[in-house]
Amino acid sequence: MFTIEEAKQKLAGKEISSEELVNDCISKIESGDGEIHAFLEVFKKDAIAAARTIDKQRVAGEELPELAGIPVALKDNMLVQGHVASGGSQILEHHVASYDATVTRKLKNAGAIILGRLNMDDAAMGSSTETSHYGQTRNPWNLSKVPGGSSGGPAAAVAAGFVPASFGSDTGGSIRQPAALCGVVGLKPTYGRVSRHGLIALSSSLDVIGPMTQTVADAATLLRVVEGADPKDSTSQNPSETSVAELLKLTDIRGLKIGIPKEYFISGMDPEVEARVREVITLLESHGASVEEITLPHTPYALETYYIIQPAEASSNLARYDGMRYSMRATGERLEDVYLKTRGEGFGREVKRRIMLGTFVLSAGYADAYYKKALAIRQLLRQDVDAALSRVDVILTPTSPSVAWPLGEKFNDPIAMYLADIFTVTANLTGHPALSVPCGFAHDLPVGVQFIGRHFDEDTLFRVGHFYQSITDWHKNSPL
Amino acid sequence: MTKKIIDIDHLAKLARLELTDEEKETLAPQLENILAYVSKLQEVDTSHVPSTASTTNLVNVWREDDVIVCEAAERESAIRSFPDSVGTALKVPGIFDDRTE
Repeated sequence: MFTIEEAKQKLAGKEISSEELVNDCISKIESGDGEIHAFLEVFKKDAIAAARTIDKQRVAGEELPELAGIPVALKDNMLVQGHVASGGSQILEHHVASYDATVTRKLKNAGAIILGRLNMDDAAMGSSTETSHYGQTRNPWNLSKVPGGSSGGPAAAVAAGFVPASFGSDTGGSIRQPAALCGVVGLKPTYGRVSRHGLIALSSSLDVIGPMTQTVADAATLLRVVEGADPKDSTSQNPSETSVAELLKLTDIRGLKIGIPKEYFISGMDPEVEARVREVITLLESHGASVEEITLPHTPYALETYYIIQPAEASSNLARYDGMRYSMRATGERLEDVYLKTRGEGFGREVKRRIMLGTFVLSAGYADAYYKKALAIRQLLRQDVDAALSRVDVILTPTSPSVAWPLGEKFNDPIAMYLADIFTVTANLTGHPALSVPCGFAHDLPVGVQFIGRHFDEDTLFRVGHFYQSITDWHKNSPL
Repeated sequence: MTKKIIDIDHLAKLARLELTDEEKETLAPQLENILAYVSKLQEVDTSHVPSTASTTNLVNVWREDDVIVCEAAERESAIRSFPDSVGTALKVPGIFDDRTE
């Protein structure tokens, strides 16, 4: 599949039409997605119609926006007006979006064609896409393995070459971990850089939307399109501006200071994964980066902190699915029964587990010991990362402690599943941007390296990630 | 394992979740395990740390309290997605058991 950069060139040079590009995606999905199940729905009619409109405008010589005619697909928790947005949940199975998410609107304004909606864990709760009410997604590199999660559909769709790029959401690693496991690039932007208006909320102090692409250059291009302050998301902010072209000219990392946190090279990590990540360090050092060991002392508490704050916020956000306004409504004698039955029937088991956990840690008598304690440790984690990033430009870690695991392996063991996010949750808790880039293979499955940067300094992540991809070929490997 | 701290029926009631007996039997030990796992946080001294969820230093973002009318198509679509409606109004079950209250 073309990268966004390549597709732009071929469209501009009239080597291909947008309709041909969209049809190519659709035929690849029709022949390959039966076994992978990345897409929940392909917006075939709308996508072809939009492509034809753009093609006509191009033939007429009209000035076209940046992504004109390029297909992208969205995780099923971002609203596209007139289409179902289920969030991977049964409770929203028939929920039709009445408006576009800000990300959707910005993509449409940039001429992008929304190709369809992609599978995800139920309400974005999960690390393997196995909790989706609509069936599991398989890893394109090995169909007996998970794609990671919760953005397993967006990762698998790009890895399988069904679409040039996709968008996921990341609350504790849900963009970066599946990106690593499927061998694609995944960016979790700084908290607040991209508006969440029209994103089905999971945990509002952690949720971010970001691109999943084949190249770091494409991730930079897409971030520029969707970022920025939005009155409809009061946490969103305007970032500083550097053009993508300017950014990618910086193909030199001499003098860049890279910090390696010793707490991220733990026992229990797959030694083959560790070896791939250490090879990245050696390679970047040989090209002039300076590497030093750093410490993020509260790292051993990050996952525990996350699994208090995330369920607490989720239990509150998911209170809106009460059967009254836009979800399914079960029948019951009294109002209370309608609530109980709608939620009991409509939520999947991981969602129920986290709602119960979140309700507990917020309940009278326990909130101080759990929720408030976690909020305080969250600040200590942030202080750790800020202190480290005052000495180094970027922090380098593995994205995931393992490669993709067999389907079903961790499904009945919540804590084992939660541990898959051990290297990714910190950036959500602290708000820092983080980028996962493919860096080789272990056991014939992709491995990702993660770069964490200062708040709103995605540019440094793009610079080091793009440099790495300019001297390696891992991102050019394809499973098919 | 430490002593059980979860009252599963009470918690399900607080969360407005109807759970089957089977679900309760599975969930109770899983929640206890997760709580035992996260109890490691008690080791950390946080007496001098502020409790806040903010990470990007934003404070009190204000806006005018203006009514912004949405497009007719958007409104009609939202009404169509109501589980139950009367005309353009959302229909919900009665709040009071005794209608004479």
